[in-house]
Amino acid sequence: MNRSNEAFWWSLFSAGGVMAALFMPVFIVLTGLVLPFTTAGDADLDYDRVHQVVTWWPVRIVLFVVVFLSLFHCAHRIRHILMDLGLRAVSTVLAALCYSGAAAGTVAALFVLGTL
Amino acid sequence: MAGEATITLEVFRYRPDDDGEATIQDYRVPYHEHWVVLDALNWIKDHADGTLSFRWSCRMGVCGSCGMMVNGEAKLTCAVFLKDYYPSAIRVEPLINFPVERDLVISMDDFLAKLQAVKPWLIRDDEEPPGAEYLQTPSQLAQYQQFSMCINCMLCYAACPEIDGIPDFLGPAAIALAHRYNLDSRDQGQSERQEVLGGEEAVWGCTFVGECTAVCPKNVDPAGAIQQAKVASTKDWYRHVLLPWGKR
Repeated sequence: MNRSNEAFWWSLFSAGGVMAALFMPVFIVLTGLVLPFTTAGDADLDYDRVHQVVTWWPVRIVLFVVVFLSLFHCAHRIRHILMDLGLRAVSTVLAALCYSGAAAGTVAALFVLGTL
Repeated sequence: MAGEATITLEVFRYRPDDDGEATIQDYRVPYHEHWVVLDALNWIKDHADGTLSFRWSCRMGVCGSCGMMVNGEAKLTCAVFLKDYYPSAIRVEPLINFPVERDLVISMDDFLAKLQAVKPWLIRDDEEPPGAEYLQTPSQLAQYQQFSMCINCMLCYAACPEIDGIPDFLGPAAIALAHRYNLDSRDQGQSERQEVLGGEEAVWGCTFVGECTAVCPKNVDPAGAIQQAKVASTKDWYRHVLLPWGKR
């Protein structure tokens, strides 16, 4: 029975696309625009407050899932763009580079979020 | 044709048994507002050059035979009017991404092999043919009806930027038709089709560019079908890895 392992990478890509589309714009608008530039951010947006929010376990888990899946989404997209640009012959090497990059980022995210 | 309005067709010519050179030949064709490109090609065949070869049949967007590149875009030539190009010349070439057999006639062998490989027909486990029709509710019909409108015109293969570089990619129409039968409540052949759809590049050659859906003259949305087929292949993969002892 044929079962391409591409299904696995595509599932991470697909889930990452959903995560990135769902959460990233919200994060960018909140932390990049609303909080610094409007009165909504006037209340105690200091380090301690943000630290408290980010170190709450449910937030840590959400952040980890968003970062992990978004990284694999990027890796898969970059790999396929490079294949489309003519590097299909070395697709295994591309896969190794792209996905190990995403895996390294995932480990880093795990470390940062776990030791905050 | 003195005084009569004309339009120039720049037609791709290739006769392997003759000179074997691909060239562009210009023909001046009478211009009529209600003529489509296929009418102009038939006028050439009948009045100017009987050696020109092209496929056509129904002239009404049903048979899917007359697909060609019209000014670089994959079109059914029975559905593009001269008036949309007049007075500019119109370039007519065979569908790209296919080997050319002669003039505007392409070889469909690869496409037909892929189409047959996905078994686009109803597969039943219990084959005694039923005494009456298999009944189906309107909502069961709606599941697949859109994908059943495909006429195998292959415009989606000419529009796809991936198919040419990935020989094992099944391509839009074949996947859409496989998906059409997988979605049919009367069908029991999904696991048989998955043997082919689960292959290394079978559905994964697609990167969701979406041109297949953009050119489809029957609004089938093959790109949507391919994404749904990817989800089905992914479920199959996880089921196999997580429950290797389970049913396929």
